[in-house]
Amino acid sequence: MSNDPYGAQVRALFDTPAHAGCLAGALSARVEDQGVRVCLYAELAGGKIRALRFQAWGCPHVIAAVEAFCAGYEGRLAAELLEFSASDLMQSLSVPVEKTGRILVIEDTVRALGSIARETSISDN
Amino acid sequence: MTEQANLIYLDYAASTPVDPWVAEAMTALMTADGNYANPSSTHIAGRRSVEFIRHATGQLAALLNTDPGCLIWTSGATESDNLAILGAAHYRQVRGQHLITMRTEHKAVTDPFNTLQKQGFEVTWLDPETDGLLDIAKLAAALRDDTQLVSIMHINNETGVTQDIEQLGRLCHERGCLFHVDAAQSVGKLPIDLATLPVDLMSMTAHKVYGPKGIGALYIADRPGVHVDPLLFGGGQQRNLRPGTLPAQQIVGFGAAAAIAQSRMIDDRKHLGAMRDRLWSGIRDIPGISTNGAMECAFAGILNVSIEDVEGESLMLALEPLCVATGSACNSKSQEPSYVLRALGRSDELAQSAIRFSFGRPTRSQDIDVAIELYRNAISKLRGMAPERAA
Repeated sequence: MSNDPYGAQVRALFDTPAHAGCLAGALSARVEDQGVRVCLYAELAGGKIRALRFQAWGCPHVIAAVEAFCAGYEGRLAAELLEFSASDLMQSLSVPVEKTGRILVIEDTVRALGSIARETSISDN
Repeated sequence: MTEQANLIYLDYAASTPVDPWVAEAMTALMTADGNYANPSSTHIAGRRSVEFIRHATGQLAALLNTDPGCLIWTSGATESDNLAILGAAHYRQVRGQHLITMRTEHKAVTDPFNTLQKQGFEVTWLDPETDGLLDIAKLAAALRDDTQLVSIMHINNETGVTQDIEQLGRLCHERGCLFHVDAAQSVGKLPIDLATLPVDLMSMTAHKVYGPKGIGALYIADRPGVHVDPLLFGGGQQRNLRPGTLPAQQIVGFGAAAAIAQSRMIDDRKHLGAMRDRLWSGIRDIPGISTNGAMECAFAGILNVSIEDVEGESLMLALEPLCVATGSACNSKSQEPSYVLRALGRSDELAQSAIRFSFGRPTRSQDIDVAIELYRNAISKLRGMAPERAA
């Protein structure tokens, strides 16, 4: 039994966070809570998410989870952001239960980004 | 096992490798062709084991310039601390129940004091100054007529800050109370002369000084009123103070490690100082970096630094394959910021970002250069992906 607190997937996502950074002129949402800061940037086109980037200050699980979210949501409908739940990420990355609050900061940020995307879409129409 | 070659180990304050000469001396007492007999046995093989133990006790006593009869073998510094603090407090409780220690002590000291508090003893917890040192005026003000025991560590295991135990001990003796020193980090590294130091009880361990894990010692001064009640019972060994079969091979290991430490203490300190200075020179220009505990009053084998705007747990992972510590090793699974650094006035965030680098005999300049590169890269990476703080 391993006593490594991070699984291979968390290590890989933390080591090479391909979506770390920001997108100039893109939609953005930021949440700071539980000692964690998460900022998400999204470029949309035709109701779909064309590109996602993140900035994060937090533990390795937070960074891995937000990278996994960005990698998994590019190309999906912007409306799906409003229904995002962090529970799948918690499970797939084996995030310790005591870090639930931190991972929920990502959920809050994604949903905030979804709200901004919806408002932008309404005003564009 | 294959990862071992790539590791950069800078965690010698947590544990050191066993010196090859020490391992050789120990092995001779473990195998069928060696002196493995129980030293409590009265036959010739048992008596040989006793001779090995006597020799090793003499080696440790020589390092500390004390009488071998003042040393009690234990399983390590944690047991020594427990025996000293619980044992002395109970032995002297008819004289008074007031005790004094610092908030920056190791858990092996704070937990026994917490236990004594629950048993009805009164404990005064002293805060350090921001440099980590104890202001002797604070101790003087805390001492009372019913104070029985003061416990202050020599070298702090997290910061390396070294207390003036001679000055503190003298004050304790002037006021008629016992003085215990947790010297787990200092025995074999700093000169300690127990023939002249005003210390009544001193805890030590082998594995911080290139000896084996699982063996420590408690010095009990041969002076009136200096005594401890035992924690363990059965067998009568070591004057009933710490019964149990003596682990001859462990004791021989500690003795050999003590002898080696005595012979190379000056060279060791020069080397550690050079390693620490090289590391600090390589990272001190990073914006937001600061040392925990003043370097001018810290042991050269430890460098503890905090850094602004970097999350501590991510920093630890980003530093791999560098083996360093956050809080003390005994507490490193906790996500809580170090209570020692909080006592120095560090914020939760700065305490959580703290990294303790500690150096040893095997540390090479190349290791330090790799550590500098890894640390700078990790800071750069984590700061690069962090959003600005909210205004």
